[in-house]
Amino acid sequence: MSGDESPPRARRSRRERLAAKTDGAPPPQMPGFDVEMPRADIGPGAAAARPQFAYLDEAGLQRLVERSFELIAQRGVDVNYPTAAASLARAGCRVDPDERRVRIPRELAEEALAAVPRRTTLYSKSGRFDLEIPRRDNTFHMRTGTGAHGFIEPGGRHRKLVLDDVATIAAVGDGLPEVGFIAHPFVNDVPEQTADLHGFAALLAGSEKHNLIQPYEAANVGFLMRLAAAAAGGEARLRQRPIASCIACSFTPLEFKRMDVEAIIEAGRYGLPIHACSLPTAGGTAPVTMPGTVLMAGAEILSMVVLTHVLAPGTPVIATPLIFALDMRTGRSLQASVEALRGACMAVQLCKRGFGLMTHSYGAGADTADACGQSQAERALIGCMVGLSGADILGGVGQLECATVFSPVQAVIDNELGAMQRAWLHTDAIDDESLAWELMLEIEQGGNFLANRHTLAHCREVFAPGAFLRLGRDAYEAAGRRTVLDNAKAILDSLLAREPPPGLPDEETVREMAGIVEAAERAILG
Amino acid sequence: MTDTLDDRLDAIFDAVLDYDDDAAERLVRAELARGTDLQLILNDALIAAMDEVGDQFGQGTLFVPEMLMAARAMKAGLEVLRPRLTETDTAPAGTIVIGTVHRDLHDIGKNLVGMMLEGAGFTVIDLGVDVPPEAFVAAAHAHRPDVLGMSALLTTTMPNMRKTVALLREDGWNGRIMVGGAPVTREFADEIGADGFAADAPGAVALARRMTRAG
Repeated sequence: MSGDESPPRARRSRRERLAAKTDGAPPPQMPGFDVEMPRADIGPGAAAARPQFAYLDEAGLQRLVERSFELIAQRGVDVNYPTAAASLARAGCRVDPDERRVRIPRELAEEALAAVPRRTTLYSKSGRFDLEIPRRDNTFHMRTGTGAHGFIEPGGRHRKLVLDDVATIAAVGDGLPEVGFIAHPFVNDVPEQTADLHGFAALLAGSEKHNLIQPYEAANVGFLMRLAAAAAGGEARLRQRPIASCIACSFTPLEFKRMDVEAIIEAGRYGLPIHACSLPTAGGTAPVTMPGTVLMAGAEILSMVVLTHVLAPGTPVIATPLIFALDMRTGRSLQASVEALRGACMAVQLCKRGFGLMTHSYGAGADTADACGQSQAERALIGCMVGLSGADILGGVGQLECATVFSPVQAVIDNELGAMQRAWLHTDAIDDESLAWELMLEIEQGGNFLANRHTLAHCREVFAPGAFLRLGRDAYEAAGRRTVLDNAKAILDSLLAREPPPGLPDEETVREMAGIVEAAERAILG
Repeated sequence: MTDTLDDRLDAIFDAVLDYDDDAAERLVRAELARGTDLQLILNDALIAAMDEVGDQFGQGTLFVPEMLMAARAMKAGLEVLRPRLTETDTAPAGTIVIGTVHRDLHDIGKNLVGMMLEGAGFTVIDLGVDVPPEAFVAAAHAHRPDVLGMSALLTTTMPNMRKTVALLREDGWNGRIMVGGAPVTREFADEIGADGFAADAPGAVALARRMTRAG
């Protein structure tokens, strides 16, 4: 046996060991107490094709594609932005001036779809966390939840989310390796009309990674772009390296508000990728039957592809179906119900394989109010199924109570779940090495595979958990019944205690951004 | 170049940690030819290496197959030393009888414990798998071990661990008994009257060391 296969690892030299005068009595094995980050890149198969899970057969998928084209051509969509509607008319749409209804011909929709870039980069401020979409290893990137207005402190207390919490979200998002980019929440301790500006400015100031803009008012969109430009080092620099991308949402059913059209136009002006988001709720704003809800999402996203093609040509569009279902007993909107999850899988399949678009959906989240067992079960299912359906971006890290609450402890667990999910998207090559063919032929009765070259060579190609524990009863009791939540809190503490990363905007930039927010408040609040 | 004694002992230590049994054997043989003190080779190179292996395993940085491969490399060096140790009446760290209890055929864990104990300088007498209680008693008489260790992988064979301990005690054997195996807990070990429990192979080494020191 040669030592060639031994992977590098930290170890003491003989002299260091003897100097330490330990007797080899090992500490109890308690993996998980090293609150390290999980490791998802587990082997050579990581760059292979992603295993795929298909809710829709080819005929079903094609029917949804066809109906999406037909719906926006026959029923059309309502665009509450006269100049945009006029541009769409010039591009070949049939526009009813009274209703502002825009009927989009198939030729234009196909042309727009063909023009959408199939790849893009979400840039970070420092360059250390630039994200290629689709991800090179054929897995996915994650992002934190948008729009949360509640916050669960690490100790478990629920309260309104305030501006200071954005720094926590930024630090958590920057520190968790599975989180590719970070969205701003809704902050409650500032004027409601400018809450997006305050939240985004604080996020830009506190995070090194790429940020997601979610405008709350049409008048704010331009100021949000100015904030992004300030953080990027100027408009030209922002166009060169967009450190932010912008979400634009339909107003289901089949309507586009001024704010979201403005977001598309402004994002295009600065070259920011657009997350074209449809949020239909089955039984509410969309048909109760999930295929109908998925059709709604498909038609709205296809319309946004056309809007972008006409109003902001060349801008990358990332299809973002976020599917909800109305709880028919209570009227609550659900993101983690069985039906919503089926819808999410179908919608991702439609956008990714039917339209050929980069695709983004929830890959985490729960309908429960706390980071409890139900939450972990629901988000594990969502991540697995949406990941297998082909999404390039899984959103919802840290979100609870149907995307209205952010829990940093939950975010740490989501990071762990995301790493696990990416690891199991790894596909194995089927060859004699992976089959251990020679060993199979040689294995003796009662033999085992523990001590041989093949096992040694591959034994580290396994997922290494960070927060998750694998303790037996004795170790569990000895550890005071420590659970993944305790480990997640410990990881969170370590993230919050870290020095600020090197790529944050400097003081001058932060002052410039504060000036933009002040100017916005004067303009918007009067 | 490995010129000084310390350098050469470092090389033996590293051979074990690199899972290189050929090098371990060759380097120990060369050291014997130089007339180096046996205890130095054993304690300061081979056993020190296995102690490092145990520490790394305990910290979760070394995996089971790697621990096994290191134990194999250590054993390759130890086999070269063994005749000289016998010739010079060098006392082992202790004698330990191990086996898998009656009706249990799973021996990976037991073998791992055996290799690690040998790596720590113990003489290990392995009774194999599916060992009836009477055979453990006979081995206790025959070998007079410092410690008798038994393992069970199945919950269905755990009662045989209880029977074996009971028979040993009935027979009047008052030596130390250690138990282990996936379903075995400290609580169960206490309940059946065993003297110690270890959750893994390095833990078994540490336990054996404590038991033999305590006499």
